[in-house]
Amino acid sequence: MALEITVHEQSCRGCELCIDICPTKVFTRDEEKRLCTVAHAEDCIACLSCTYICPSGAIEHRDIHLVKNFYRDEEFCRKMGRFL
Amino acid sequence: MEATSDKRLALQDAMVFLGAIASGTEQAIGASANSISYLAGVNLGKKLSSGVPRTLDIAAALQATRDVLEKNDYLWLFEPFKTHDQEALYREVEEGTEVMLVFRDCMIRQSLFRFGHSQKGSLCNMMYGFFAGALQNIMGRESSLEIVHAGENACYKKLVVRNS
Repeated sequence: MALEITVHEQSCRGCELCIDICPTKVFTRDEEKRLCTVAHAEDCIACLSCTYICPSGAIEHRDIHLVKNFYRDEEFCRKMGRFL
Repeated sequence: MEATSDKRLALQDAMVFLGAIASGTEQAIGASANSISYLAGVNLGKKLSSGVPRTLDIAAALQATRDVLEKNDYLWLFEPFKTHDQEALYREVEEGTEVMLVFRDCMIRQSLFRFGHSQKGSLCNMMYGFFAGALQNIMGRESSLEIVHAGENACYKKLVVRNS
């Protein structure tokens, strides 16, 4: 899967949360710019944890497989609500 | 086509229901819920893979496992994965043969997210059990499936198939 990851420099605050959460070590820290950058895009499994955790929404993925969501049946959800 | 769609909708309803049961079971009996889900997965893995030709080739066994899931319309597909610094997909380690797997579309993850249940819970152990049961049938070997990372769009797991 040839995917693209972009860390927008204007948005990144260098908090390193993406580095901490990535299971395949895709990101690294650029000490000069004090920002996080993509070191190994080819290792990305597109779990999107970095995108979800980034406080400034600086990370963007392209050409990834997005999971198929379950359909939503309101009546069924109401019934399920009794168990939760 | 319509029959397949109905089957999938029924399966999704069942999975959401199962997610609620698993969440409730975890609250009621704690870690023991993992064993129950694991054993349910083993039974499912053995049942679905019965009749699959036996092989000792792990790549062929994984493909057969994937085929079984696909054939039964299960949204539970996976693929072997290696990072740039790993030399091979399948690596010999002390316990046996190790391979990293990426799970993208996962009916368990989707059912957990529907009502905000947390990941890495007892229902995820069902997948561990499924692999253990299926690989026991196909390869005649014990295996373990460790969750390395549970993500929002994909999960990363380590499968170890033991030597004996």
